Amino acid sequence: MPEVGSVPESWDDEQLLAALREALRAERAVPPEFVEAGKSAYAWHNIDAELARLTYDSIGDPDRVPSMRSETASIRALTFTSAHLIIELEVSGESLLGQVIPAREGTIEIQTRDGAAATVPVDRLGWFPIHPIPASPFRLRYHAADGADVLTGWINL
Amino acid sequence: MRDDPSVIMLVERARDGDQRAWGQIVERYGPLVWSICRRYRLDRADIDEIGQTVWLLLVEQLGGLRVSAALPGWLATTTQRECLRVLRAARRYDLTGSPLESQMSSDDDDAMIEQEILAAELNAALRAAFADLPPRCRRLLSMLLSDPPFSYAKIAAVLSIPVGSIGPQRARCLDRLRRSPYLTRFLDRETEDNEAEDARSSDAGGGQRA
Repeated sequence: MPEVGSVPESWDDEQLLAALREALRAERAVPPEFVEAGKSAYAWHNIDAELARLTYDSIGDPDRVPSMRSETASIRALTFTSAHLIIELEVSGESLLGQVIPAREGTIEIQTRDGAAATVPVDRLGWFPIHPIPASPFRLRYHAADGADVLTGWINL
Repeated sequence: MRDDPSVIMLVERARDGDQRAWGQIVERYGPLVWSICRRYRLDRADIDEIGQTVWLLLVEQLGGLRVSAALPGWLATTTQRECLRVLRAARRYDLTGSPLESQMSSDDDDAMIEQEILAAELNAALRAAFADLPPRCRRLLSMLLSDPPFSYAKIAAVLSIPVGSIGPQRARCLDRLRRSPYLTRFLDRETEDNEAEDARSSDAGGGQRA
């Protein structure tokens, strides 16, 4: 195998053949389902919602303070922030509790990568419970009664 | 090195809604994402997870885009960051700073990522050049590259050519491959780099080029 980054024109036939073998091998090493899953990600192109990015994750925070209910020993706390609102999530035992700030009634759609979705209501204080906690990665889409539409990044608890 | 015009075009087409262009991006750089994950010795479930995250992040970036020209670099560092995040979560391994910061990789890791980007670019160019060869050349080279390789006698039988012509045809096919525009483009970028390098060493009086 020629050294990476060397000039192909200077390779003799054996080097070129070896480089081609490696290039084809590298492609064959990738499972087809891995590539197909990547292609299917395109379904998320042009989703007409405001994106909320992960701005806090208690994993990796040495000074972590439970962000919502300090009397509860939370396992994991996450904060997603969009231009107009914040979605906080806190895992305590078997339950996942979220809050939209500022509080507005609406619905939360829980989307998983296989395309399935469940919906839970958001009360007028902005709270929403999710039960059971999704086993696979999921993302939340918040539809407020006043029309706001916000989509979080993927969450893997 | 990274401003491959065909990549920029693919990204622009994908941004404008061309699903096939997106598919080509994934096919071209899937091996890059995959091999970086393998370098971190992650298991299949983690790699699948990271792949999904990386491609979804890219889909989201298509609209606002700072990535088009530097796509391989963006994919590599995003994959690396996700690998480190998974490893850290698995080890309960707290490093300073937020998990979204990317600077916690070591110099060795960064060198590895740089090497993977170069290899991925070269491999993609070689595969494109190979796919562009006449069918006869592709068949011949495939037989030579199969593991174990076909014997010359078998190749001669399959292609209905005399054994004595296999050597010359092999040389011709490899020469076509070498002169493929896909590799020339790669070569041009490399040559520019080398010329810049040469210019610097000539300035220093150390040029050794014939």
